[in-house]
Amino acid sequence: MLSTSAELAHREQVAPEHYLLTFDCPPIAEQAQPGQFVHLRVSEGLEPLLRRPFSIMNVNIPAGSLQLLFRVVGRGTQILAQAAPGTWFDLLGPLGQPFPVPATTQEVLLVAGGVGVAPLIFLAEALRELPAPCYVRGLFGARTEDDLACWLELSTRCDEFTAATEDGSAGQKGLVTDLLDEQFDRGGVERVYACGPVAMLAEVARQCERRQIACWVSLEQRMACGVGACLGCVIPVRGPGDTRYLRVCQDGPVFPAAQVDWEAMTADLD
Amino acid sequence: MDLSVEIAGLHLANPVLVASGTCGFGEEYAGRVDISRLGGICTKAITLHPRAGNPPPRICETPAGMLNAIGWQNPGLEVFLAEKLPALRAYGVPIIVNVAGETLEEYVELAARLNDADGIAALELNISCPNVECGGMQFGLAPDLTRELVAAVRQATDQVLITKLSPNVTDITALAQAAVDGGSDALSLINTLVGMSIDIQRRRPVLGNITGGLSGPAIRPVAVRMTWQVAEAVEVPIIGMGGIITYEDALEFIMAGASAVAVGTGNFVEPTTAVHVIDGLREYCIQHQIAKITDLVGAARTGG
Ligand SMILES: Cc1cc2nc3c(=O)[nH]c(=O)nc-3n(C[C@H](O)[C@H](O)[C@H](O)COP(=O)(O)OP(=O)(O)OC[C@H]3O[C@@H](n4cnc5c(N)ncnc54)[C@H](O)[C@@H]3O)c2cc1C
Ligand SMILES: Cc1cc2nc3c(=O)[nH]c(=O)nc-3n(C[C@H](O)[C@H](O)[C@H](O)COP(=O)(O)O)c2cc1C
Ligand code: FES
Repeated sequence: MLSTSAELAHREQVAPEHYLLTFDCPPIAEQAQPGQFVHLRVSEGLEPLLRRPFSIMNVNIPAGSLQLLFRVVGRGTQILAQAAPGTWFDLLGPLGQPFPVPATTQEVLLVAGGVGVAPLIFLAEALRELPAPCYVRGLFGARTEDDLACWLELSTRCDEFTAATEDGSAGQKGLVTDLLDEQFDRGGVERVYACGPVAMLAEVARQCERRQIACWVSLEQRMACGVGACLGCVIPVRGPGDTRYLRVCQDGPVFPAAQVDWEAMTADLD
Repeated sequence: MDLSVEIAGLHLANPVLVASGTCGFGEEYAGRVDISRLGGICTKAITLHPRAGNPPPRICETPAGMLNAIGWQNPGLEVFLAEKLPALRAYGVPIIVNVAGETLEEYVELAARLNDADGIAALELNISCPNVECGGMQFGLAPDLTRELVAAVRQATDQVLITKLSPNVTDITALAQAAVDGGSDALSLINTLVGMSIDIQRRRPVLGNITGGLSGPAIRPVAVRMTWQVAEAVEVPIIGMGGIITYEDALEFIMAGASAVAVGTGNFVEPTTAVHVIDGLREYCIQHQIAKITDLVGAARTGG
């Protein structure tokens, strides 16, 4: 993990409310593995105070760059959406546990929801560049076509790709999880990797458990330190006895789906 | 230029500590921060038995600050002694162990068992944590309870005893006096201010615990004021904290009467905050021809 200054090389709006940032940051780009994130200081002042975590969407090692894809949801992302190329930012990273990749050729399924596509783009690329490359099927769901940000980045890295939108404006109409049955019924899927809203992840985890397919999810939680020190970013995990909590920043953000206490995770979803 | 300070016989190479709960047990920042440069480390609160902590969300950003409701998640005394303490000792800086309990007996047992452990510079009695249902802050809100608790712990330990005070009181000097009467060698202040935040979209509190403790620059003026008041009321050394990000912030506490300071939330903003504060203090002293940092303690009181 490094603490480093990185220059914003590029900022591109890729869809309404969605931006792609490219940083010149060779030290982090070289070390990063799919599933890891950076903890980015949005402003040099005290507003906003805390850093913001973003998954690494892509790295280009020869160019020494890394890319982040984000959706504008609040103050920090609003500032980033207006950041001028040439501005320097403080980045901590790469942080967290990456997606574990198979040692032998496997057929894998990626399930992305909304901006959760970011770490799966990096993963898809890595899976196909392994010594024993994987066959990658990709599913990408969002509310509407506009929210399928960077879908080309994912689809071009997959051997098969299907999109879904809730309003039917692109791909199949419905939830991305509606596509799971067909994928599994066809057979062949040996592992699943997913990132997206909690409700989506809980459904993916449920179906994988039922069919006994190994599944990993990337989770989000509000963070302060980002390095495991403050115990602020926990999620509930299953286990014998009392409730246990693990840190998203250090023990995650990638967790085996079977480890997560989905009942507690979804208890207060609206 | 001498940055060293003495806190009731405890020698610190410089007056800048990292605050309890913000730097874990040191390991998380190892390799990112030169921990050996710190004046000392205050550990996350240790309880007798392991604690799972509060349900998430546990943190929430606020203007120039944050709320937290971690709730004493820690591996318990056994694991602390067997695994965390040996690793902490390797950094070669004073280790101040923050202890917390639900009953007086728990505090006493913790103190007694830590008294036999090697490599502990001081105990910091956490009677000011707002994020647990019982124990913790309840001891820190009433002078009688504070005096009784500190006195009982005093009997159980020969170590330097620091009592960490809560700002959630009407008159902090009464609590400070009670802790000193009970036998506390030094005081640290402030712990977090109880606050809350509401998610207006979901129409419910943001934090799983409903309320949390406010920290960061937002609380600094309150912390400086309380440091000033306590320094006036008691003779024992004070470790001041609350929103320190820069060396200028640290100097405010020192000039108000603190012998040392601690950086908490500032570590989250930038892991090297405490180290930068140390460098800044040294620079300041050189520039202003201050021979020793202790000359600045309480400087604002004397107009010095
Ligand atoms: C490991 C990880 C990877 C992430 N990767 C991406 C990504 O690739 N693209 C992307 O768009 N978003 C990602 N997020 C979510 C992103 O961190 C938040 O959208 C962002 O912090 C919001 O900041 P804000 O100031 O705009 O929002 P505000 O709502 O103003 O933020 C207030 C506080 O809440 C925190 N917060 C708000 N929403 C979230 C959230 N969903 N997760 C964690 N903290 C949150 C903020 O960090 C801040 O501390 C990731 C989160 C985590 C934990
Ligand atoms: C995430 C977090 C966890 C904390 N945990 C503890 C703790 O375990 N024991 C304790 O005495 N104080 C704890 N504190 C309080 C800090 O040590 C400090 O008193 C307070 O945050 C004010 O300083 P700051 O504004 O620099 O953070 C915690 C604070 C934060 C932000
Ligand atoms: S954000 Fe501090 S432990 Fe994860």
